[in-house]
Amino acid sequence: MAGKISNTPATYTPSPTSQDKKRSSIFTGSDWVRPDGRGLHQCRPAFLRTGAVNSASGSAYAEFGNAKVIVSVFGPRESKKAMMYSDIGRLNCNVSYTSFATPIRGQASDSKDLSSMLHKALEGAIILESFPKTTVDVFALVLESGGSDLPVVISCASLALADAGIMLYDMVASVSMSCLGKNLVIDPVSEEESYQDGGLMITCMPSRNEVTQMTVTGEWSTPKIHEAMQLCLDACSKLGKIMRSCLKEAVSATQE
Amino acid sequence: MATANGSNDLSSEMEVDAFRRLFPLRFHERHLLESIRPDGRPLGRARETTISLGAVASANGSALAKIGCTTMLAAVKLEVMTPKAESPDEGCIAIDFHMPPICSPLVRPGRPAEAAPVISKQLSDTILSSGMIDLKELSLVSGKAAWMAYLDIYCLDADGALFDAALLSAVAAFSHLQIPVVSLNDDGRIVLISEENSGAMWEKEPVNKEKRKLKLESCTILLDMRAPQELHSGRPFS
Repeated sequence: MAGKISNTPATYTPSPTSQDKKRSSIFTGSDWVRPDGRGLHQCRPAFLRTGAVNSASGSAYAEFGNAKVIVSVFGPRESKKAMMYSDIGRLNCNVSYTSFATPIRGQASDSKDLSSMLHKALEGAIILESFPKTTVDVFALVLESGGSDLPVVISCASLALADAGIMLYDMVASVSMSCLGKNLVIDPVSEEESYQDGGLMITCMPSRNEVTQMTVTGEWSTPKIHEAMQLCLDACSKLGKIMRSCLKEAVSATQE
Repeated sequence: MATANGSNDLSSEMEVDAFRRLFPLRFHERHLLESIRPDGRPLGRARETTISLGAVASANGSALAKIGCTTMLAAVKLEVMTPKAESPDEGCIAIDFHMPPICSPLVRPGRPAEAAPVISKQLSDTILSSGMIDLKELSLVSGKAAWMAYLDIYCLDADGALFDAALLSAVAAFSHLQIPVVSLNDDGRIVLISEENSGAMWEKEPVNKEKRKLKLESCTILLDMRAPQELHSGRPFS
């Protein structure tokens, strides 16, 4: 049961009375059954749409299961006056959560951390030399957190950049993996993430076969890491194809 | 021939855009002389409005309202609080309006938009003073527990008529609100009753089995100062 301190009365979210039986299954070594009925190595179906926000240079909306994210890209636009001259462009990223994104209000993940990770994931893919002295702003808003939020944000951000016409070396696709006892599950939901022993996230440029970012947390054995990386890279290349087809659809829709 | 026409169209389009940027006042005056607006609407018509309910699954009630390109997402989350001593039978509503940086190029992270606190206060005043929601319906156990409804409205795309869209989405979110069934357990805290356990043990009777939805008094919303429209919202739910 969560307690929450607010300005006026203290409030809390009523929590369910049922006990969690899932935790025990990991320790007995039986196979993990996923809450949404997917296979262990099956990703969530992806819904991607560009042009979600009219006032932005480029934008995209992504829905992976329950994780819903909107990303807007503004720019290239003038850098702040305090910034020093630079002959390559700058990238500015910001990720924020709505207050209703998580089941318990106000329990957002560390968004400053996510902003800098998004920056690191994207900066390798953008051709910064194409917009010297200016800044490209990438703003992400997580409408609903459904697990594996950062990979969804990164994939959505690269779609939004492509929609804005920023020059990229390649699309950036990102997938994460969780280690639950002896099971490896791809694209975890929030419940699975909370029970995980270790997490691995890979961001790569599928057509160039280059990895821009890899994050490993928790407890991993070497053979498991190899297996997880291979699965993630395969999933990334499939996601890359889906992103390309989404962009092609958007272009052909405007041409009609 | 086609390409010559194509390039003519492009250059004339760019001239219009340039004129709009350089002389905005004259651009709009020219249109108003013909009683028409730059997007082709006559003066008395509002933009296409759409509302969809249940956009966010993690909230108790939510709605997405669009007026033209202006998009607002409103969500209501319910939390339990101890009611104030002078009104033990009433819950409380907290309304907050946010303009995240995605909505407009004028908003930067760390520097909130000027319009946001103004609209937030306007909305707060409108919804609370209109008496649309009877706070007594938000009570659970008199004097001990009541619902605190946190209404958060996020502007996803800012294209004018922000207050109208925000109000529309707020009312729609309240109309979609489903109050969860809860009961008071032995520690004096309110707990959710999950659907699976309905056959098994219920220590205490659910406190609010009957009242699952809010009754909204019918209220009139006037939209869009340029194009007054009356929208009667809210039929009694039970």
